[in-house]
Amino acid sequence: MKLSQIAVVSVMAAVCCAGLRGYQRVADFGFGNDDSPTNIKAEFYWSRLAYAPNLQGVSSFGYWRSYAWSRDYPKADRQFLIAMHRLTRIDGRPTEQVVTLDSDDIFNYPWIYAVQVQMWSFTDKEAKRLREYLLKGGFLMVDDFHGTEDWENFMNGMRQVLPDYPVEDLQSGDEIFHTLYDVDNKIQIPGEHWVRTRRTYEKDGYQPKWRAIRDDKGRIIVAICHNMHLGDAWEWADDPNYPEEFASMAFRAGLDYIIYGMTH
Amino acid sequence: MFEYLLKYPAPVFLKGRIIFLSAWPVWLLAILIVVFSASLAVLTHRRISDTVPKLRNWRPWVLWMMQSAFLSLILLLLWQPAMTVTALNSQQNIIAIVVDTSRSMAIQDQDGNSRETAALDLLRNGLLAGIEKRFQVRLYRLGKDLSRVEGVSNLQPVETATHINSGLKQFVEDTADLPIGAVLLLSDGGQNSVEMGEAGVAMETLQALRNRRLPVHTIGFGQPELRHDLEIENVSVAPSAMINSRVSAAISFVQHGYVGQTAKITVRDGGKTISSQEVKLVPNGVLQTEPLYFAAGSAAGAKELRFAIEPLAGEENLKNNEVIRPLLVSDKKRRILYVEGEPRWEFKFIRRAEDEDATVQLASMLRTSENKVYRQGIANQSELADGFPVRPEDLFGYAGIIIGSVDADYFTPLQRELLREYVDRRGGGLLFLGGRGSLSDGGWGTSSANELFPTFLPAGRNNFHRNSATVELTPDGADSPITRLLDDPSKNVQRWKKLTYLADYQDAGSPKPGATVLAQMNAGRRKLPLLITENYGHGRTAILATGGTWRWQMSEALGDPSHDLFWQQLLRWLIADTPGEVSVSVSEHTLIDEGNLRLTAQVRDPQFQPAADAHVTAHLIGPENTSAWIDFVPSQDSPGLYTASWSADKPGGYLAEIVAETEGKQKQEIGRDVLTFRREDGVAENFHTEQNRTFLQHLSSETGGQYWKPDGIKDLAQNISYSEAGISVRSTNELWNMPIIFLLLLGLSVGEWLLRRRWGVI
Repeated sequence: MKLSQIAVVSVMAAVCCAGLRGYQRVADFGFGNDDSPTNIKAEFYWSRLAYAPNLQGVSSFGYWRSYAWSRDYPKADRQFLIAMHRLTRIDGRPTEQVVTLDSDDIFNYPWIYAVQVQMWSFTDKEAKRLREYLLKGGFLMVDDFHGTEDWENFMNGMRQVLPDYPVEDLQSGDEIFHTLYDVDNKIQIPGEHWVRTRRTYEKDGYQPKWRAIRDDKGRIIVAICHNMHLGDAWEWADDPNYPEEFASMAFRAGLDYIIYGMTH
Repeated sequence: MFEYLLKYPAPVFLKGRIIFLSAWPVWLLAILIVVFSASLAVLTHRRISDTVPKLRNWRPWVLWMMQSAFLSLILLLLWQPAMTVTALNSQQNIIAIVVDTSRSMAIQDQDGNSRETAALDLLRNGLLAGIEKRFQVRLYRLGKDLSRVEGVSNLQPVETATHINSGLKQFVEDTADLPIGAVLLLSDGGQNSVEMGEAGVAMETLQALRNRRLPVHTIGFGQPELRHDLEIENVSVAPSAMINSRVSAAISFVQHGYVGQTAKITVRDGGKTISSQEVKLVPNGVLQTEPLYFAAGSAAGAKELRFAIEPLAGEENLKNNEVIRPLLVSDKKRRILYVEGEPRWEFKFIRRAEDEDATVQLASMLRTSENKVYRQGIANQSELADGFPVRPEDLFGYAGIIIGSVDADYFTPLQRELLREYVDRRGGGLLFLGGRGSLSDGGWGTSSANELFPTFLPAGRNNFHRNSATVELTPDGADSPITRLLDDPSKNVQRWKKLTYLADYQDAGSPKPGATVLAQMNAGRRKLPLLITENYGHGRTAILATGGTWRWQMSEALGDPSHDLFWQQLLRWLIADTPGEVSVSVSEHTLIDEGNLRLTAQVRDPQFQPAADAHVTAHLIGPENTSAWIDFVPSQDSPGLYTASWSADKPGGYLAEIVAETEGKQKQEIGRDVLTFRREDGVAENFHTEQNRTFLQHLSSETGGQYWKPDGIKDLAQNISYSEAGISVRSTNELWNMPIIFLLLLGLSVGEWLLRRRWGVI
């Protein structure tokens, strides 16, 4: 076999592998057969925002960073949905829904959840769609980004979406912490790494930041969980080594955020 | 010629009664006429056709008729017929000449003279002198009221109103002791209170005139129809509206001389045009009604809106192109209780829509978990703390109630009965939304509250579907204030068809008789009612058979008002007619040339039972710093009803605030209400300026008088003497020697002879 033929076959094999890998990543986007739980129609769909990452700072972990939106997916989502069904009267689908800013389909899901938002980036069209989504009444919860650099990267995207809307720190008395549970003594909710490191922070994100962006009427449209990782707390809630205190706080806060998003 | 042939003037025959002077009974005359005619008929049948073959078919019967008529006339004369008629005695009676001196009489018609000038000229040029020859004359002027004047020169057309009915009634009362023989009214017939096409003669006026047997002769002035004119007939608009609401009005007008042309109707608030619309004019004299929509504005208070139709070239009267209507814009906040059984998007987006409406506040209770209720919009921490109210005084404070996806079993039988009372007795609005726990799926169809629904709910609990459905308006919904997204009804229908689909739908069943379907859904191949409304008792109920209108907000373009506007309009409809503890009405919102008005207040206690022991007062403020306090008087017949009378003496806009308090030393306010009204002086004189001939003719014919045209009054002076009023004498006028009798006898004889000769039977 000539070298050129070997190269062609290698490229084709690589393309096929990449395609297969890509298919595996996207195949479970909420579509299945008719009996699949993903086809159940419900009032509430746990909607995880999939976005194209910015590739700044991509290191040897760059490959994984390109799928930053799917951190803890789908176990965190499903564990949270189990708790939601157990603890509220929300008619929610037991499986998650992945949404993108590529189409207007996102307007069918007025509550969305995004993680690793220091990695997000938007085209102008996507930013405009997310802005319209939020101003029409959509609600966005962001989670799992830590430290100063992540904040700046997150804000780069946020300023593209809502350039004139300030970010504010939420107070304990704010309505969003009292819709279902009274979450008064808020603590920093660490990721699964706490089991190994006993550290509640990552990078230089020593203090938990419960923040938000409000619309013109004062309603929270973006709830920001900075220097925390609620998704991990949901995902590892069934791990005996992960403290119940963190998991409970994460569930209570998450449920409050959903009820707030469905009432304001 | 009439008098030459019949010997007597026409009124003798019109007003007289025929009698027979002969002592023979009248029935004998009838029998003889029948007998003679029958005998002639027998003879004609037996003899003439046989003996005279030339006379066949109808010819012998023509001769029979002529012979019978001749004999009948002879017989009639033997009974000595006569007319008895009542006539006024000369110089013993008074003729009242009433001249309309309202401003409409100053209108100059086509000959260049004013109507008043024409009337006075008529009096000066012989009419007055003719009447004065036989009668005493009293001159009156008629405007707002009736007053006597000395001399024609004191009559000027300056009165700001014409009240012919009340003026004549006043005349009858004032002259009860005088020998008034007749009334002569010189007028254009324009009355301020008479709408187009109405005769306008009040029954009580007619009765007063008939009791005196007073004939009213009328002389009409002015053109019966203007050649080129646009005139507003009426403007129908609600007297009150909420701030930021869309108000609809109907403006009715007629035109003469501009058929097919385009005119512009406008609404102005102060100097600002707040709505305008071009309309194509329909044929002359046909009443045309056009809808007009405008925004009530964001400022609360009393407004004076000017509804106008812009003048066209050559209009003869420009003062009838505008009318003013008072509008009270209120910013009073009304509260609605929203009960929702589960967190869902519809709840959120309804709340957001109402956030934009400053006049509506949603107090909501949402079942977030099995044992938790999340309350929003509450006035204090105790409100709804124990769940859905169980006492009337707690529930009846809300102006409307929304029940979302909540099972019927969530409410106790007592609470369901309270809901029924809320609508039926309290007069509140109740809206049911679709959902997985709503309507039939929530067991409401088999509950005691079933009768509240405007539809017959279907059986089973599987009628809610999370499938898409498109919407469209029904004909009733095309111009309903609830579903009006666009003012133009046809464009509104198209807008609804283009709305994005609903997230879900529910089969609400079939509408009950009396219910109105405003919108329907296309769900698969089925058409299902979406929005159904119905009046129930003193209140109203509605179903919106979906929980998925939130997609209109999320999927329409940013800034599209459809979702919020629909919900704001629906909820305003829900509460608009819900009365408060005090609800006041006024007899007229626009007082024409007089200020008497009557205020009626209905006062209820917190349980909405009539409050019979309240102290009700009104503070009225008006033009030129008018300020007055009046007390209401409780009705003896209806508990909770209070009335007060007042007179608005100055023209302009008035505002009345009515407060009801409990009696006793410690007075406590029960409630209050505000209304506005307006008095207009002299404005109505600019309308209906053409001669109201129908009114004048009707007035004359109903009282035994006659309508006269100014150029045909030759016989008026003589005619007016035939009256039963005043001092009169009854005269008997024999008829046998009337020339027409002899001419008839001669004509019948000669006619028969000529016919016989023509037919060759002589």
